[in-house]
Amino acid sequence: MIIAVALNENHTEALVDEHFGRCAWFCIYDSENRKTEYIENTNRYTEEGAGCSSAKTLMQYGIQIAIAMRFGVKVVEFFRKNNIQMVIPETQKNLEEILKMINN
Amino acid sequence: MSRTKKHRLVQKAPNFSGFKPFGVQKVNDAEISLNFEEYEAVKLCDYELLTHAEASVLMNVSRPTFTRVYESARRKIAKAFVEASAICFEGGKVVFDTLWYKCDNCKITFTISEGKLQECPLCHSTEKIANI
Repeated sequence: MIIAVALNENHTEALVDEHFGRCAWFCIYDSENRKTEYIENTNRYTEEGAGCSSAKTLMQYGIQIAIAMRFGVKVVEFFRKNNIQMVIPETQKNLEEILKMINN
Repeated sequence: MSRTKKHRLVQKAPNFSGFKPFGVQKVNDAEISLNFEEYEAVKLCDYELLTHAEASVLMNVSRPTFTRVYESARRKIAKAFVEASAICFEGGKVVFDTLWYKCDNCKITFTISEGKLQECPLCHSTEKIANI
C-alpha cells in the first residue's frame, strides 16, 4: 500500500501539514518495501487549485491513502471520485509517529 | 404551503459545536443557531475563496439560493458579534456528501472508499470505529 503524507519539511521529524494543497513536501511511503521518498510540492504558491494539481501528481505514484490535517473541498471531491482514502489526525503528529502507526 | 427545501450538500461537519463570547459582563442568554448549510456557505466563500457560482454547484443548490443562505449566515454571525451571544451549529436541511469515520485507537478521522471493508486504515481494527 502506498501512502502520501503532507509535510512541512523533508525529514522524519517533520510535522503533518495544516493544509493538503499548501504543504511544502509530500512523503510517499510504500508499506511493502518500507521505502520513503520525499517530493517537493511545486504547486504550493499557485493561486487556485493547488490541492487538485498536487493530488493529480500524487495519483501518478499510485497512492491509496492521503494524510493531512485538512483537505480543501475540491480535493475531497477529487479523492472521493478516485477512491482514495483521506486521513485526518486529530492532534498534530510528526512523520515518525505516523509511520509507526502504519507499521504496527 | 411553501415549496419544500432542497437538500444542501455539506462536505464535513465542523468538529466543534460553536462559539462563546468572552470578557462580557452579562452573557446574552439567547443562543444563535447557525445551520450546517450556513457554516458550509461561509467556509466555501470566505475560507476556500470560491465564487458563489462555484460554491452553489458544490452544495447542489442554485446560485440565488446559495447567496440567500450565505447572506443569512452573515447576518446571524453579525448579530452574534454585536449582541455578544453564543453561536451553536445545529440543524438545517443538509445531507453529507462524504461519510467520515473516527478511530478511537489512533485518534484519527478518515473516509472509506466504496466497497471496502470498514476498518481503520492505520491500525486495521474494525471495532473502535464510529460514524460521525
